[in-house]
Amino acid sequence: MPIRSSSSAAYIQNSSTSTNGVPSTRPTSLTIHPSALFSILDHYLRRTDAQHRVIGTLLGTRTDSTVDIKSAFAVLHSETDEQVAVDMDYHRAMYDLCTRVRPNETIVGWYSTGSDLNTYSALIQNFYSQETAPNQAVHVALDTGTEEGKSAGVKAYVSSPVGIFPKPENCVFVPIPCELRFHEAERSGLDLMLSPNPLSNQTDLDVLASSLTDVQNMLNRVLAYVQSVLRGEVVGDKAVGRYLMDVLGTGVEEDGGWTAGLQDTLMVTYLANLVRSQAEVSARLALTTAA
Amino acid sequence: MAAPSMAAALAASLPAPQAAPTPAAPTYEAIPASMSKAIDIEAEIPLTCVQLDGIVITKILKHSREAFSTTAHGLLLGLDLDGILEVSNSFALPNHHNDDDEKATKSIARYQQSMLRSLKEVQGDDNVVGFYQATSLGAFFNQSLIDTQAIHQDRLRHGGVVVVHDISQTARGNASFPFMDAYRRANFSTAGLISHRLTFSSILEEIPLRVRTNALLSSYLNTLAIPSTSTFSDAHPGVATTSALPPSYSVLDIGNVGLTKNLEQVAEAIDNYRTEEGNVAYLSRQIAREKLRAETYVAKRKEENARRVAQGLNALPEEDVSRLFRIPPEPSRLESMLLLGQVDAYAKSLEGIAGAGLVKMYAAKASSGV
Repeated sequence: MPIRSSSSAAYIQNSSTSTNGVPSTRPTSLTIHPSALFSILDHYLRRTDAQHRVIGTLLGTRTDSTVDIKSAFAVLHSETDEQVAVDMDYHRAMYDLCTRVRPNETIVGWYSTGSDLNTYSALIQNFYSQETAPNQAVHVALDTGTEEGKSAGVKAYVSSPVGIFPKPENCVFVPIPCELRFHEAERSGLDLMLSPNPLSNQTDLDVLASSLTDVQNMLNRVLAYVQSVLRGEVVGDKAVGRYLMDVLGTGVEEDGGWTAGLQDTLMVTYLANLVRSQAEVSARLALTTAA
Repeated sequence: MAAPSMAAALAASLPAPQAAPTPAAPTYEAIPASMSKAIDIEAEIPLTCVQLDGIVITKILKHSREAFSTTAHGLLLGLDLDGILEVSNSFALPNHHNDDDEKATKSIARYQQSMLRSLKEVQGDDNVVGFYQATSLGAFFNQSLIDTQAIHQDRLRHGGVVVVHDISQTARGNASFPFMDAYRRANFSTAGLISHRLTFSSILEEIPLRVRTNALLSSYLNTLAIPSTSTFSDAHPGVATTSALPPSYSVLDIGNVGLTKNLEQVAEAIDNYRTEEGNVAYLSRQIAREKLRAETYVAKRKEENARRVAQGLNALPEEDVSRLFRIPPEPSRLESMLLLGQVDAYAKSLEGIAGAGLVKMYAAKASSGV
């Protein structure tokens, strides 16, 4: 699930060793959890007028080649024409607090809003590289899409030293692919946010009904397409036709278990109702007998 | 074991109830009518709705999924405005299992204070309005929840809210937030169970919950959900369009995954309730027996006194019966009430699962018949 597929960047797999000869594992891909993404957006909304962009720390886990960003927290920083300052005490204190709740998450890098990378980015990257040593720090640049001519999206980078004598303010940001990843169980929360009228008083059946309506709409769309092909209005796509046949050809096999299943389900419904009414009666009886 | 410590920690860290501001000079202006809804010092406007920000939802979801085996709880931060409680942020509280109580309590309190201070530094909300708790299959009534809420009741505006999030619903991929309701605490006292006409359904007052995504977040989400067409013209139709947020149809899965577990839990909750009822009945019998003994003793003494008076002797002093007979205190019905609430909640979610399963079965039957 790429967050921004329009990027034309070719991801270079650089397997060079670092300067001191120790092979350092460079992350080749990055996943980001919605919770971290939303934290960044929230931080951006709460910035002060003087702040051009906001930065913060990314927490997560890493394997050999991938970095999973699980959460993020805001860090105070100030940027002027002359200098950049990051509140390191705040960063450390906040990291200590976060590790108490989620001990398995470590610092993996930092984020900033806006997509411009400058000397200050390199300096901050240098600072975070010390925090994440011996691993490399990743940098996530999040475009909020609020500025003219820039679309919303997320880009991830790792840094690479440049020049014969590496200096902290010089580095090349190498883009790495970035994906949004979340557990299937967290899907429903996102669905709720995506729905145009987010109200919470839905039941199981409401959700089912909306899903069925969706499916019905899609079937109608497919049906309209197929009929227009049959009428000769549109030239049919053979690949689509085969795909439809594969998908719709799989029928449900009737194996006689249906009736048994139905009876079980009905029984369970009956039982649940019975238990609920018993519980209610029992609660009322507790009031009367003691009185 | 973690529960009372958490409750005590909350008590230590929350601000004391604010005293009503007494105007020093008598020349204060009346609050203009246009502002009367915004300025609500005494928290007089009742809450009608709890509004959760998108970030809070993802944070709670993540926390409760990661802490599946333990209870996940955390604090909600936000503001209330004109009857709507806007929850704009939240953070998780650490779980302590093996530390001794006193130490854990203090460290949680310290954790909370420094977290709130840190959030304030980056312009976050730092006003505690309630807490959240993750639960399974809808049975969220337990002693720790009540304890925590009791502390909030005294110290927070509107008595604080508790947001209950159901893990098992999300685990099945269903919409969970419908099942996650905000509950507000109504009057509660263990002793005056009957005088308050209290049942499990009236312990907490349910408040409708609303999800709010700010403009930036919703535009971002919608950008993510837009499918993008593959750059390869000959891609397979199934993979030709991709999206960062593809639509999910896991609700349509036939078969009841959680049904067996749910049934087991109903049975377990009923068993627990039976045991608790047995305890209460045993205690009640003991009380009755002790009372009977005390009464017979008093009656005997009275009879003897009457006889002594008739014989012209001095009456024996009426001794304090309560010192001779130890009548046990009335058993608390809170536990059994909470257990009953659990039974009801489990049965309710069972009913929901079975109902949806029924519809799906008929749908599958109808489609296979084509």
